[in-house]
Amino acid sequence: MRRLVWVLAVLGALVSVVPFYWMIVAATHDGSELFASPPPFLPGGDLLNNIVKLEESVHFARVMATSVWTALVYTALSSLVSAMCGYGLAKYRFHGRGLLLGVVLATMMVPFQVLLVPLFQMMASIGWVDTYQAIIIPFLANSFGIFLMRQAFLDFPDELLESGRLDGAGDMRIFYRIVLPVVRPQLGALVIFTFMSQWNSFIWPLLMLNSEERYTVPVALNHLIGLSHVDYAGLMLGAFLATLPLMLVFLVFQRQFVAGLLGGAVKG
Amino acid sequence: MKRAIAGLSLVLTASCATGGVPAKEAPKITQSANAKVSGNIEIWSWDVAAKALQRLAPEFEKANPGVKVKVTDIGYDNAYDKITVGLKSGAGLPDIITLEDTAIPGYAENFPDGLVDLTPVAGKYKADFDPAKWQAASTAKGLYALPWDSAPVGLYYRRDYFEKAKVDPKSLTTWDDAVKAGEKIKQATGKRLFVSDLASVATFTTLLQQLGQGYFVDGKVAVNSPDAVRALTLLKTLKDKDLLQNEKGWDGRVTATKQGKAATQPTAAWWSGTLTAEMPELSGKFGVVPLPAFEAGGSRTSANGGSALSITAQTKNQQTAWAFLDWLLAGKERQVSMMRTEALFPAYLPALTDPLFDEPQPYFGGEKVNRLFADEVKEIPPVELTGDDKQAEELLKKAVSACLLNGEDPKAVLDGAAEQLAAATQREIAP
Repeated sequence: MRRLVWVLAVLGALVSVVPFYWMIVAATHDGSELFASPPPFLPGGDLLNNIVKLEESVHFARVMATSVWTALVYTALSSLVSAMCGYGLAKYRFHGRGLLLGVVLATMMVPFQVLLVPLFQMMASIGWVDTYQAIIIPFLANSFGIFLMRQAFLDFPDELLESGRLDGAGDMRIFYRIVLPVVRPQLGALVIFTFMSQWNSFIWPLLMLNSEERYTVPVALNHLIGLSHVDYAGLMLGAFLATLPLMLVFLVFQRQFVAGLLGGAVKG
Repeated sequence: MKRAIAGLSLVLTASCATGGVPAKEAPKITQSANAKVSGNIEIWSWDVAAKALQRLAPEFEKANPGVKVKVTDIGYDNAYDKITVGLKSGAGLPDIITLEDTAIPGYAENFPDGLVDLTPVAGKYKADFDPAKWQAASTAKGLYALPWDSAPVGLYYRRDYFEKAKVDPKSLTTWDDAVKAGEKIKQATGKRLFVSDLASVATFTTLLQQLGQGYFVDGKVAVNSPDAVRALTLLKTLKDKDLLQNEKGWDGRVTATKQGKAATQPTAAWWSGTLTAEMPELSGKFGVVPLPAFEAGGSRTSANGGSALSITAQTKNQQTAWAFLDWLLAGKERQVSMMRTEALFPAYLPALTDPLFDEPQPYFGGEKVNRLFADEVKEIPPVELTGDDKQAEELLKKAVSACLLNGEDPKAVLDGAAEQLAAATQREIAP
């Protein structure tokens, strides 16, 4: 039994590591070498060369910077909106609260493809095509995030809020000073989730951005797939470099993230 | 990515379902003789095509003071998602877009008022362009694009394999010759005749166009016509004699070619670019001859790919947009320049007489392959393209793989595909 577990664990590790390893191998070889038979198994010496070429073909440094700052701004704003909405839906009593929650949940069920054209028309009518705000603002109210945060706040003891009020704190102060610090684990999970979704977001930025100087990483890498030539070395290198910020965010927030996922697991 | 694409085709289909509105007409291009060419225009393109535009735009700006041309490389892989959403929402498109020939009829049918009809200004050039491409850009209602690059098809071959088998590549004048040569080469070298993805329709379609036919004839389903059966029968003969190297998709074909798994490849002029980029070490190993004909004296070429430029109805500057197209495509100078620098094979026939095409190509052992392709351009058989071609392709994919992979009868599978296609598109089957 123990041996079986060990074998399965090794297999599992291989399956998840090999694609990543191949990404590194491919990123360090000249594109034409990848089609050789047998393909190269060890990293090659073309990394610098490929970096220079990638910078030349898609201005990778600029693209990376755009992706980083748009994802950061989006993550900060969207997490705040989610937390506020979730708090409101969990802790304030008002008419239509259930209905409002239902509407938020219902939007989770609408496939994004259905929204593409109407949303595009809206953006066009207010002149937001090819702007940064068009890839940040429309998705600030993220129904999954709102739901996640609402669930987090449901368990929050009302007594704490009341004592805050008795001490004369306003709603905003209560929210920032008492409520937010307590839900840090869930907030960490939310941050990772929203950063990842914005970082990997492809089809919307592709549709919205019409100037190469505004492209994000996924949109720019997409250009390496041509009609009669696919720059696999560049694609792999770009994909590899693009995972680095994700890893960083994950490392920073993962303690909260894991705690957040398990947070409700053993509560009655 | 896949999800988004599926979703977009859903959007497209939905647009067809609301087809109760009165038929819209393509707005005809308007040009006033004394209006000045000025202002800004924007163009979407991809790949080397975008590079060509970016290189030439400053020349146009210099020749026309006050004009700014912005070229955006939107990438090829999802270009049509962008274009479809732009047409569907009636906003966000630039003045000029790049379209592959095969995409033009679908857009012309689904968005009849989305692209400008160029007939009034471009009609006079009809005789100057690759006839197959001119037809691809036209529908009954008008001319929706000006042809850009052509994709004449020839037979690339490996010199070393032919020499080893003592076969003269020039002797392959008909497909019967090619089958016999293929057997001989396989015996001598162990290599199959050419690479084909048996689950795709690309080779079948190329052969069908060589016979002068598309999926539809006069609007009627023709995927089971005698010519279609003939094209598929040829492929089945090759398969039965084990002369087809079955490889999945684009990467499979490139890898197999690099590894030298096949003796020939029937494909278009742009394949040279792939060869020189992906397999420089095979320099000197390849040559090109015209495609073998189905019968002596029959057509020796076909087409596979190629693009055109369209002016969108959303443009606010038709005058300058057309001036740019006219300057870029309907003249020898720029067409030759784009052939020299970006290897975009001109669809503009007068450009093909340029001495550039007579230069020997070192990669091909000094052969003048561009002369061969240039002479083929005007011979490419024009075929009918429709907005239903995509659907036909899906059904034919199943038919072709049933025939080649499961050994079913060519006529029977094509008859089946024709019936399904007729039902799906509400068209008749051609007699």
